[in-house]
Amino acid sequence: MRKLNLVLILAAFPATGAVITYDDQIKPIFREHCMKCHGEDEPKAGINLGSYDTAVKGGSAGAVLVAGRASASILFNAITDENEDKRMPLRNAPLSQAKIELIRDWIQTGLRETEKSASLAANRDIGFHPVVVAKTDGPPPMPENFPVLPAATQKHPFPVVAMAASPTAPLLAVGAYQRVQFLDIHTRTVLGEIPFPEGQPNVIRFSTDGRTLMVAGGKPVQSGSAVLYDVHTGKRLAKIGDELDAVLAADISPDQQMVALGGSGKSVKVYNTADGKLRYKLARHTDWITALAFSPDGKTLASADRAGAIHLWDANAGSILLTLAEHKASVRALVWRIDGKMLASGGEDGVLIWWDASDGWPAVIKNNAHPPKRPEGVFGVLPNGVLSAAFGPNGDLLTAGRDRQLRLWNPTGSQIRAIPQESSLPIQVAVSQDGKTLVAGDSAGQVHFLDEKGKPVAAAR
Amino acid sequence: MARANFKALVLLLATQLLPGATPKATPKPAPKSAPKPIIPATPSFRRDVMPVFFRAGCNQGTCHGSARGKDGFMLSLFGYDPKGDYYRITQEYVGRRVNLAAPEDSLLLLKAQGKVPHTGGRLFTKDSTYYQILLRWIEAGAPDDAGAVPVPVEITLSPDHMVFKSLAVKVKPTQQMKVTARYSDGTTRDVTDLALFSVNTPSTATINKTGLLTAGTKGDGFVFARFSRFTIGSEIIVLPPNDATYRWTNPPANNEFDRIVYDRLQKLRLLPSQLCDDETFLRRATLDLTGTLPSVAEYRNFMADTAPDKRARLVDRLIASDGFTDLWTDLWSEMLRVKGGGYGPTGTDVKAAESYHEWIRGQIARNRPLNEFVADQINGTGSNLTDGPANLYTMLVHNTKFTPKAFASDFSQVFLGLRIQCAECHNHPFDRWTQDDYYGWVSFFNGLKRKQGAEPREFYIYNDPAAEPAKHLVDNRPMPATVLGGEAPVPKGTDPRQALSDWLTSPKNDLFTHNLANRIWAQYMGSGLVEPVDDMRISNPPANKALLDALAAHLASSGFDLRALVREICTSRVYQLSAKPNATNTGDTRQSSRAQLRRLRADVLLDAIVKATDGDRTFNMFPKGVKAIQHYPRTTGDTTGNTFTDNFFQTFGRSDRSTVSASDTRLEPTLSQTLHFIAGDTLQDQITKGKVIPNLLTAKKSPDEIVEELYIRALSRKPDPEERKAMLAIAQQDPANRKTYEDIFWSLIDSTEFLFNH
Repeated sequence: MRKLNLVLILAAFPATGAVITYDDQIKPIFREHCMKCHGEDEPKAGINLGSYDTAVKGGSAGAVLVAGRASASILFNAITDENEDKRMPLRNAPLSQAKIELIRDWIQTGLRETEKSASLAANRDIGFHPVVVAKTDGPPPMPENFPVLPAATQKHPFPVVAMAASPTAPLLAVGAYQRVQFLDIHTRTVLGEIPFPEGQPNVIRFSTDGRTLMVAGGKPVQSGSAVLYDVHTGKRLAKIGDELDAVLAADISPDQQMVALGGSGKSVKVYNTADGKLRYKLARHTDWITALAFSPDGKTLASADRAGAIHLWDANAGSILLTLAEHKASVRALVWRIDGKMLASGGEDGVLIWWDASDGWPAVIKNNAHPPKRPEGVFGVLPNGVLSAAFGPNGDLLTAGRDRQLRLWNPTGSQIRAIPQESSLPIQVAVSQDGKTLVAGDSAGQVHFLDEKGKPVAAAR
Repeated sequence: MARANFKALVLLLATQLLPGATPKATPKPAPKSAPKPIIPATPSFRRDVMPVFFRAGCNQGTCHGSARGKDGFMLSLFGYDPKGDYYRITQEYVGRRVNLAAPEDSLLLLKAQGKVPHTGGRLFTKDSTYYQILLRWIEAGAPDDAGAVPVPVEITLSPDHMVFKSLAVKVKPTQQMKVTARYSDGTTRDVTDLALFSVNTPSTATINKTGLLTAGTKGDGFVFARFSRFTIGSEIIVLPPNDATYRWTNPPANNEFDRIVYDRLQKLRLLPSQLCDDETFLRRATLDLTGTLPSVAEYRNFMADTAPDKRARLVDRLIASDGFTDLWTDLWSEMLRVKGGGYGPTGTDVKAAESYHEWIRGQIARNRPLNEFVADQINGTGSNLTDGPANLYTMLVHNTKFTPKAFASDFSQVFLGLRIQCAECHNHPFDRWTQDDYYGWVSFFNGLKRKQGAEPREFYIYNDPAAEPAKHLVDNRPMPATVLGGEAPVPKGTDPRQALSDWLTSPKNDLFTHNLANRIWAQYMGSGLVEPVDDMRISNPPANKALLDALAAHLASSGFDLRALVREICTSRVYQLSAKPNATNTGDTRQSSRAQLRRLRADVLLDAIVKATDGDRTFNMFPKGVKAIQHYPRTTGDTTGNTFTDNFFQTFGRSDRSTVSASDTRLEPTLSQTLHFIAGDTLQDQITKGKVIPNLLTAKKSPDEIVEELYIRALSRKPDPEERKAMLAIAQQDPANRKTYEDIFWSLIDSTEFLFNH
C-alpha cells in the first residue's frame, strides 16, 4: 500500500535551488540590456523594467510577465524569439544563454522581488489522492466463449496502434488489422478475438466499468467510425459515426452515454450511444484531432490536435472551458489521472505536461521528456516525441517516446525509471488494473509485458 | 568537334533521322548490369522508391514537396532529404501511410492510384512499374536502407544529338529517348521510366512522359532529362523545308569565331547577311566600344580612308581610347552594384563608392588581366574608404549586416553566371548544384566581418579565421568551405578566400571563363550565347557551345586580356554583318547570322544625345563634364533600395543597382520614353542650348551642308537623296531660321534609327 503523500509541492521548482530575485540578479540584466528603451526615461510600449512594480505591472498592452510560466510571458518570448528582426534587444546580439535561463527561472519561481518576498506563483497540490472505485456487481467481466475467427492473413503484424487495459479486470485489448485481440494480463494468453471489419483500429478504450469496449478507426481517407462491443460476449453493441476518414481520436464517456470522435476533419463530434445521433460538434481546432479523453467524472472532455492545441469542454453542453496552450507540435497523448485532478499530455515536441485540470495550469512541464541519444556524426534535430501515455491506479504515469524508451513518472512529475525498448519503436502503453504490470505495444506489432520494476515478464502474441 | 558533327551530318543526310551521329574518340565502357528496368525483389527506399515519388511528381513544389507539405503530408522537395522522407512515410503516423499487414490497402498506394480522394488525382495504375515498386517495398516491410546505398553519379541521355528532316508528310518523325544512370558502385541502370523530360523550344520538338520525342517545324533546341540530382540535354535540329535547295555561299572568314559560326549556320541551313556598310560599322563600333557616337571629323576621316584594313584600325583606336575604359568601368560598376550614399551603417558611403569606382577604372585602364582583377576583389581586405576592391563586401549586398548567404548568391551570379541560391533549400532542380555545394560555398564568406573604423563612414573588411562554417539546412551539419563541385574542403586555419580566388580565377575554371566570355560577347552582339547572361545552367545551354568554348579559350590563353578578346570579336566578319535579313535568316536572333537591332543603354543614349548636340548635361552630386557612363548613383540617403538618382536613367531603364541581376538593365520601350522625347526636358534642352546650329549658321554653311552635318551628327551617315530633298524643302523656306534646323535635328534624334544600334 502506497503511503499518502500530502506534502504541498511547489509548481515547477527550478533545478538550481538558489532563490532568484529581481533585486539581486534580474535588475542588473535589465539595466544592461533593456532599460535604455524600457526604463524610467523612455518606457517604449509603456514597459518600464526599471522598478519591480512597473516590471510586474507590464506595458500599455498588459502584463509581460506571468508568474510561474515563462512560456506565457511576453518578455521571455521576446528575448528568445527566433526571428532576429523581432528579438529583443532589437538589432543587438541575443542575451547569453545563462542570462536567459536566469530570467526563465526567475519567472518560473514566481517573480520574487527580494530574497524575503513570497513567490507570486500559486502553491498547488498536485499530489495523488487514491480514489475508491465503486464496486460493481458480479465478477470482473472477462471474455468467454468468443466465436473463433479465421486466422489472420497478413503480410506482417499490424503495428500496435491501439491498445487498452481494462480498469477492472486483468485484461488487455490489442488492435490488429481488422480485429482486436483480448489477452489475459496474468497468463498473457489470447482469450478471444473480435472482428473489426471497419479497418484498422486506431483507438481502443474500455468503459469505466470494464464491461464495454470501444474500438475506433476505419480505412484511411475512406471511412471511419467507432464500434462498441460487450467485453464478456464479444458481441457488437453499436456502431457510431460515419466519417470520411479513419477516426484518429475517440473516447467513451464514463456513463457510456456519449462517444467522442475526431480525425483529419478537424472537428470533434460527440454522439449519443443510445441512438447514434450527433449530440454536438466542436469546431475550434485548426488541425487534425489527435487525442480525446473524458474526465473520470464525465463532466469534462479534453481534445487535442496536430498543431499542439488542447481544449477542455463541458462534456454535456459542448461549451469551451479552458484552452491549454503549451505544446509546439502535434499532441500524441492525452490522459486523465483517475482522481480527475490532473491531465497529462505529450507531444511530438518532446514535451510532457501535467495540467491542473481545475484551472488549466501546467503544473509540471518536462521539456525533452524522451531525449534520444545522438548517434555519432548525426547533426540536427532528432525526433523526440512523446507517443503514448497511461496513468496507473496509483497515479504514476507511464509514457513511450521516440527515444525508444518507456518512462515511469511519479505523481509529481519525477522520473522513477526509464525502461529501454530497443527492438522496435514503442507506440502504445497501458498499465494493468492492479498497477503491477506495464505493457508496451510496438511498431512491429509486438506486445511487451513488464513488471512494476520494468523487468520484462514475457512477450506475447 | 563541330567539324566532325558537320561531316557526320552530311554523311547521313540520306536518312530521315540521324540520331547520335557524333563519333566518339573513346567508346563508353560496357554497362555492368542489364539496362532493362527490373523491379527488385526488395526495392531500396533511396534507389527505387524515392525515384518513383520524383517521377510521379509527388515531391514537387506544388505538391507534397512544398515547404509545409500538402494536405498534411510533406516530402522533401525533389527528394533532398531521404531520411526525413522515410520518417514521414513510415514513422510519423505509424500504420496510416503504409499498412504492413495489408500492403495493398496502404494509403500511399490508394492515393497514388486515385482510389481515395487525392488532390493530386491518379498518378499511376496498379499495373505500372511504379505501383509494383512501391507495393513490393511495403510487402518487404517498408525497410529503411541498411548502410550506404549506391547513388547516381552521372546520367546520360541518348541519342546525345538529333537531326530531323522536315518532311512534307503528315507523320512527324519521332525518337525514343533513353536515360541511363551510372551509380557510385559502378553499375548502370536504364532509368528512362523514372526520369522527367522537357524541351526548351516546343516549336522544334515536343516530348511526352515516356520520353518519346516528336519533331516539330524547323529550328534548333534541346531536350532535357532529369533524374536524381542531375539534368542533361541533347541537341535537336529540325532542318527547314528549303533543305534541298540550300547552298552554302562560302563567305570569307576573318578568324576562328567566324568559322565556328559558319559551321553552325550550315547545320541550321542559314546564310549570313551581307557585310554592313562603312557608315553603319563606324557607328556600331563606336557605340559598342566607347559608349558614344563618332564625331563629324571621325566620320569624315573614316569615310575618306580607303585602306582595306581601316575597320581593324578603327577597332584598335577605339579599344585604346578612354571611352573604352569608361564604358567597361560602367558595366562592371553596374554588375558590382557600385553606389554611394550618406547613410553610415551600410559602409557604402559616397567616399567608399568613389574608392571602388576609381579602382575599377584603374584596372580597366591598364588592361589588368580579368582574373587578377577579380582575385583582388575576392581577397579584398582593409578600409572601405581607401582599399577599393574590399568594397566587394560592402557593395554587392547593400545591407547594415554582412549576410554570407545573400553575398554568396550574388557573388556566384556575377562572377560565374550561376544562380546557386536555389540550392539553399533543395538541390538545384535544373542544374548540378546540391545543398552540399551551396553550404560549402557560403562558408567561404562566413568569416567576413566589417568593423567600424575611426569615423562613421569607415569600415574595416577582414576575415575572421575563427568563424564557424555554414550549417546544412537538412541536418545542421557544419559544411566547411568547398569550391563548387569540389570534393574536399579547402584547408582550415587560413583565409579561405585565397583558395577560392585561386580556384575561381583559374584559366581552367570553365564556369569563370564561360561567364566572362559570354558577357563580353553579349556586349558586342546584343545578346549572350547564354541568355540571360547570369543564368548559366545545364538546362539553359548556349546557342552555340563551340563558339562559347572558343571565346572562353581565347580569353584564358590570352591571359584574360579583355582588349584582346574584344579586338578579335569586333574584327570578326560576323560582328560586321548587316542587320538586313536574307531569305534564310529572318527568324534568327541567336546564331549571329546577322546583326541584331539593339536599343542603346540609357547611359549610352544620354551620352549620344549630348555628343550629337555638343550639349552639356550634369548630374546631381557630380562635377560638370562627367559623362553618363562615368556616373554611378550617389545619394544622400541609404543605398539599400533602388537608386536611379536621375530621371532620364529611370525612364530609359538603366539598372537601379538594387540587385546584381542583368535583367535590371531594361531596354524595352515604354510610353514614358516616348513622352520624354516629345515633351521632356532632355532632348529639347540639349538641342536648343547646344551651339551646333548657331555655329553652323555663323559659319555661313548652306542649308544642304547643315542638313548633312545634322545627319552625320545624329545618325553617322549622310542623308539619302530622298531625305535630302525633303529636308531641304523645309530648310529652304527660311534658310536662316535656327528653329527650322532645330526641328530637323529633333526629328533625327527622336527617330528609331537614333535610339538603336544597328
